[in-house]
Amino acid sequence: MQRTFPLILCFIFGILGIIPFIVPHPVVQHTDEFLRNDLLRILAAFALVLGLGSLLRVHFDKIQHRRENWQYSWVLLITFFLTSIIGLFGGVAGTGPLPTRIGNFSFDIQTIYLNVEVPLGATMFALLSFFMASAAYRSFRARSTEATLLLLAAFIVMIGILPLGNQISPHLPSFAQWIMDVPNVAGKRGIAFGIALGSLATALKILLGIERSWLGGGE
Amino acid sequence: MKIVDLMLKIDRRIIYLILAIVVILPLIIPSAQHVRVMAPVQKLYTAVDTIHPDKALMIDFDYDPQTQPELEPMALAILRHAFKKKIKILGLSLYVQPLGLAKAALDQVTGEINALAKTNSDSVIYGRDYVFLGWQPPPIVPILGMGESITNVYKKDFYGNQTDTLPLMKQIKNYNNVELLISISSGDPPLWWVSYAQNRFGLRVGVGCTAVSASDYYPYLQTGQFSGLMVGMKGAAEYEELVEKDLNIHKRRKASEALPSLTYAHLVMIVFIIIGNIGYFIKRRQK
Amino acid sequence: MNFSLDPWVWISALLSLAIFSFLYKDNPFYKFAEHIFVGAANGYAVTFYWHNILVPSLFDPLFRQGKLLYIISLIIGVLYFTRFIPKISWLVRIPIGITIGYYTGASIPAGIQANIIKQIQGTILTKENFLSWHAGNMGIVWSLILFLGVLCTLSYFYFSREHKGVLKITSRIGIVFIMIGFGAAFGYTVMARVSLLIGRLQFLLGPWLGIIK
Repeated sequence: MQRTFPLILCFIFGILGIIPFIVPHPVVQHTDEFLRNDLLRILAAFALVLGLGSLLRVHFDKIQHRRENWQYSWVLLITFFLTSIIGLFGGVAGTGPLPTRIGNFSFDIQTIYLNVEVPLGATMFALLSFFMASAAYRSFRARSTEATLLLLAAFIVMIGILPLGNQISPHLPSFAQWIMDVPNVAGKRGIAFGIALGSLATALKILLGIERSWLGGGE
Repeated sequence: MKIVDLMLKIDRRIIYLILAIVVILPLIIPSAQHVRVMAPVQKLYTAVDTIHPDKALMIDFDYDPQTQPELEPMALAILRHAFKKKIKILGLSLYVQPLGLAKAALDQVTGEINALAKTNSDSVIYGRDYVFLGWQPPPIVPILGMGESITNVYKKDFYGNQTDTLPLMKQIKNYNNVELLISISSGDPPLWWVSYAQNRFGLRVGVGCTAVSASDYYPYLQTGQFSGLMVGMKGAAEYEELVEKDLNIHKRRKASEALPSLTYAHLVMIVFIIIGNIGYFIKRRQK
Repeated sequence: MNFSLDPWVWISALLSLAIFSFLYKDNPFYKFAEHIFVGAANGYAVTFYWHNILVPSLFDPLFRQGKLLYIISLIIGVLYFTRFIPKISWLVRIPIGITIGYYTGASIPAGIQANIIKQIQGTILTKENFLSWHAGNMGIVWSLILFLGVLCTLSYFYFSREHKGVLKITSRIGIVFIMIGFGAAFGYTVMARVSLLIGRLQFLLGPWLGIIK
């Protein structure tokens, strides 16, 4: 029952997901609209609970048991609760019951997002360029014909797509574009067919209850 | 230490320093670089340029802080293009993180236009010329739902206004009134738009994507499922070039400013890879 | 140099530098900034989930407009919380099953149409495909290369037979196309990553230090 009932639900809702693509009848379309707007949307909002709950549990646990770097868990929790309070009570546009301005200094949720989250997220990914340079230097070796081909294609594209490529030769950008349009498409399309067929097989396995990993452990 | 060992063991911090220098210097000492516009970007530009006056352009702002430098210049260029041509715009995001950046981009461009506007018809007015619908999860809800009715999916817009009271939403009911959707995204959303909205409702889809996704999206461009494709900062620079040349809009071209730094960074990467390979082959021969 | 006087610009800049400090080595500033990022991102998400979804789509219709049908959605949604109660944690499978079932089902026809049928249509040798290149007679050559390339790539991934004879030749050709594709992907990835660095430096050198206008 604890595993069978969810599997049956998965199958039923899977069929309900497929039918609207095939049957244009208004009853089917309206039912589909109801399912999406009035059920799935709300479930998506509640699904945040899972991720958030796990995050908070991990960090409370770290603090409680004084695990490594437990002090930073306080930073995370305080930031989370502060931001949530400012957002929930200050409103999306800073017009809620909680005041989010002291003189000219504003601290509404959008300001926090633009000045805290954006620079932090952007800088984390900016680090990747350095790691990529170091990794490319250390590990990209033309050990075989295939690897040499890969490197040559990479060099042609890296130079061809930039204005420097056009300065070296007007044919270089066109050649780089041709590499993207023809051999790249051929290779990627072959891979994409495999992925598409694999996804289709996995989807059918999930609906038919053959693939049950989403049920998790336990009974 | 032999030269070969030196070639193979350059400290990573030296690599980081050299990369930082070649990126910073061209930013401090700028030099104008004009870009050659390639076919995929031209296709997208033409698709936007030929939008019928009665129809809208829908923009899916799906870039987060991690991909903002590549994708925000695209968004700004498209908004400038569309507003100059008096094309109606509907903005939305499929995820929560891009919302703030989407609002910032819309505010920036509408602010630029309204600062110079002399009459009401020159201005860009919220509700009449554009609407920011906001975000409704999960992505499949708006993608499929807007095929029937946009206001049913987005009952309120990002600012909390009832969407069915906005003048623009009285004209734009569903995808039949949207000529083109441009997905400016760092992940899979363009494929979702094609798989769901285009397949079921025939919506035309254009894409602005990060360079990481580029090689995976070219097959969809070739089949015509994408009506155009802008790739990374270079794609944004090409669109900026078109907007400046064709529409005489002279605003800051962030993507174009970055091209010299990009060029030198690429050259440095290539040099390091070549050095590593030379050292590797010499060492292999010695063995 | 024209330093910014805006306290938020300074906060953004110092947080950016804290993350950059990781390039030297892991350190308390980096860890501090990293944890702030996770906390702020989740707080931001909670705000919009509440104001944009739960209030207008559930609580208003249910409690203000009296649409009792939404009780079903509320009950199923609340089942997510049972994840944290071990005795009844199996109930969380109900909303997960509904969600996964619907998405999986919807993805089947969509995936077949967009990722298989349309892609086959773009590969086969038809007049439309020859003309789509806008390259005159060369369009036929490009279409032929594309067609052969796709077939050879697929033959490389066919592991039910040993790669001998004709299959060996086609899979070798397939590898060439795959490698060119990966090389192109790498080239673009380099551009992507460096663009992110440039974006950050444009902020630090511009709004913060005022070196670039």
